[in-house]
Amino acid sequence: MLTDERRLGVLVALGGGVLFLLWYLAPWAVPHRLFGGEGVLLSPFGHHLPQGSLPQGYRDGWLLWTFYPSLAWLGLTLALAWTPKPARKLYLMGVLGLGLFLLAYLLFQASVAQVNAGAERPILRRYSLGLGSYATLAFSLYLLLLARLFSPGGLAFLVRRRGVVVPLFSLLLASLLGGVIVAVMKRAPGEAQSLREAWMLKLDLITYTYQLLYSPLVNPSGFLQSLLLATPLIFTGLAVALGFRGGLFNIGAPGQLILGAIAAMLVGVYLPGPRWLVLPLAILAAALAGGLWGALPGWLKARFGAHEVINTIMLNYIAASLFLFLISANEYKFFGRTLYLPFKYPGYEARSHEIRPEARIPHWTELVAPGGELSFALPLALLLGLLGYFLTRKSLGHRVLMGLLGGVVGYVMGGLLPGPGVSFGPDLTSVRLNGAFLLALLALFFFHFYVFRTVGGYELRAMGLAPKAAEYGGVMAGRKVVLIMFLAGALAGLAATHYVLGGGIDEYRLKQALPYSVGFDGIAVALMGQNTPLGVGLAAWLFGILLTGGLQVNLQLGISRELVAVLQALIVLFIAAGGFLPRYFTDPLRAAEVEVREEARKREERGEAR
Amino acid sequence: MNLDTAFWIALFFSTLRQTTPLLLTALGGMFSERSGVVNIALEGIILFGALTAAVVVERLEYALGPGPHPWLPWVGVLSAMAVGGLVAWVHAVVSIKYRADQIISATAINLLALGAPSLVLTYFYGNATNSKEVVNRLPLWGPEGFALSPLVYLAFLLVPLSWWILFKTPFGLRLRAVGEHPEAADTLGVNVYRMRYIGVVLSGILAGLAGAYLAIGFLNQFVRGMSAGMGFISLAAMIFGKWHPLGILFSTLLFGFASALAIQLQGTEILPAVLVQAFPYVVTVLVLAGFMGKSRPPAAVGKPYEK
Repeated sequence: MLTDERRLGVLVALGGGVLFLLWYLAPWAVPHRLFGGEGVLLSPFGHHLPQGSLPQGYRDGWLLWTFYPSLAWLGLTLALAWTPKPARKLYLMGVLGLGLFLLAYLLFQASVAQVNAGAERPILRRYSLGLGSYATLAFSLYLLLLARLFSPGGLAFLVRRRGVVVPLFSLLLASLLGGVIVAVMKRAPGEAQSLREAWMLKLDLITYTYQLLYSPLVNPSGFLQSLLLATPLIFTGLAVALGFRGGLFNIGAPGQLILGAIAAMLVGVYLPGPRWLVLPLAILAAALAGGLWGALPGWLKARFGAHEVINTIMLNYIAASLFLFLISANEYKFFGRTLYLPFKYPGYEARSHEIRPEARIPHWTELVAPGGELSFALPLALLLGLLGYFLTRKSLGHRVLMGLLGGVVGYVMGGLLPGPGVSFGPDLTSVRLNGAFLLALLALFFFHFYVFRTVGGYELRAMGLAPKAAEYGGVMAGRKVVLIMFLAGALAGLAATHYVLGGGIDEYRLKQALPYSVGFDGIAVALMGQNTPLGVGLAAWLFGILLTGGLQVNLQLGISRELVAVLQALIVLFIAAGGFLPRYFTDPLRAAEVEVREEARKREERGEAR
Repeated sequence: MNLDTAFWIALFFSTLRQTTPLLLTALGGMFSERSGVVNIALEGIILFGALTAAVVVERLEYALGPGPHPWLPWVGVLSAMAVGGLVAWVHAVVSIKYRADQIISATAINLLALGAPSLVLTYFYGNATNSKEVVNRLPLWGPEGFALSPLVYLAFLLVPLSWWILFKTPFGLRLRAVGEHPEAADTLGVNVYRMRYIGVVLSGILAGLAGAYLAIGFLNQFVRGMSAGMGFISLAAMIFGKWHPLGILFSTLLFGFASALAIQLQGTEILPAVLVQAFPYVVTVLVLAGFMGKSRPPAAVGKPYEK
């Protein structure tokens, strides 16, 4: 026990050292930032002022009000870490630190508001706390984590949640490395007077980059845009995750997406009929085409033993060729004879004809507020549907039936209820979020239902964990492989509904701009989400946020959007390596060892007390 | 449509040129898989190699000023090999030391190769898709009209050389042993981890070489996505060639011929170019379906080794 306490002290001291260094080197707050990233940087150790003085009327006295208490807090924390039984005291210090961060936030906001209050238009714009303040927050969380870790059962607690710990730690590592990349690639704006100021500018540049990356969290149109970008990622993430669950690696999501898009286009353009028939058919066609394209490598694996990884990749390239063949020209020569195709829309750009209005998936404003009145149909349907599913205490079939019934009742009831009138600004209506997002949520639910609640899903998971054992247990391995790949392909194919039927790429058409590489991003989403529906949904949203924020980073700092792609790749790499965490985070056997050891120690402690 | 002698000669040389990067990469993949590590990161490593060669040569040209510098492309080639080896080493560390799923780890590197070049290109050239053209490309060796890049000769020379290394030297024996039965090799005192590191890094060096060939031998700049699945096709060729240098020579020649045919047919009216481009990929699928059953991979391939 003594060694453990000593180790805790060392860890706190190390963290405290880093914290103090960051306090010294990084700015604490930025009350005013110019376009291009340069800002007025405040730090208790001396400001960086591009215009030579603080903005007119700004008082920076609040900084010392937070600095000295923070200093006292740090000193106390370091001292308490070396007293006997430190864990509980560190909890307290962690909470205290969170309070200090909150204090800094409030004081800073107040100081900005004071300047902006009197003016006609806000003088200080683009203000935010700096890395110095965030370091306080991070250290507080670190203290809480350490306190939990060094309390009895702490390690087992962490290991049991390794499905969350590994992705989050990988995200953290990737972000750190991303920060280094930004620091190397991009010269900090502004001129540094000293070495400390040079550091201040660099660290502020990195902080600002990440603030922009995560800015969709706090701005409404960015928020909607992040949901929009998350929609296809949910589908492709599930497509990859389903393969992983069944022990297959589906790198074919891009190709399956393309085939889905082609099928959706064919139905949406060339099949006349009423909306209630054409729209579902177009969606089904997308799923079916993607599914068949996915089933092909599945069949090749089952029948000939050809590895699905290379085959799915090859089918991606073949699908891309097919796609171009259909929409890049209407006239081709085959051995001298001419072949005419009807698919390309006349004009320079490679794109198909427009989807008929009946086959379009409605825009989010039509769903949330049809005719300018807020509709309760969808939320009520969702609420009653879930209630029906979770409150029924009978067999699975009953539960699903009740869920569906509840959904329908909720939808009708919500549709009849009068809603208050609302209107959305142009920045919100211009975001092309559409009903495909609801389809994506349904897909998440389907994944959960199929994989964790049905016999087929049980077989699928058994295949993934131990294919031989599953086969001896009665799973028809060959058929199962084809089925898994079909379902995975169908999920990836559904992603196309967002682009083609939902107008996710600015037009209701099949276009060359179809971002099929989203299929590869699905790998990152599936890994980050640990192949669970909730995880995939959250991971897709995270990447939706980053992709949206990436646009801001490009716009304001001139850093290529591909920074986000690099971050994604790094996350995949780090998760593959188990976040470089100790073995018991990746190896279930060793995880069990940890639990047993902790259990034994707990028993020993209880024995001593008696 | 008349296919005269000139067409066939052009097709022959085009085949040699198309085969070279595939052959280099497939031989590399062979070393890696013979040691027991799947390396589908070769696709990405080709891109990293190509990027390095193009950027290093262009930057050095910029620094040295105009004028021919015959040694410059070789610096590019060496740096591409070094970077290729380095990237492969990352894959090796993650999959050997941290026992990651080899396919996921390699996929991460492939994803990295999709994003990272844009960052580098934006940093140097302010555009995200291609590098500036280099003046000092790799030279052409051979008689007038039939000259080929030295890397073409090298690739074909590497076939007997790697056969000799793999089957006639103690090193090759150990490498194969580690891929077939690491426990047995370990018992005999072979350092399993070291052999695997060597195998993977070797594959990265060769793939980097293939990338350099693409960037400053075949073309004179880096273009985004220029590897176009060659890494994956090489892996298919390696499987088709049964993890044997001679088999790999013939299978890569087949794929090289398919790509060359696709290129030679592009100007003609025989088949539409967009469909012809899919030719090598279709061949790959067919080949994998038809012959996979008969070949046997190294027994321990894809499995992390644990002492």
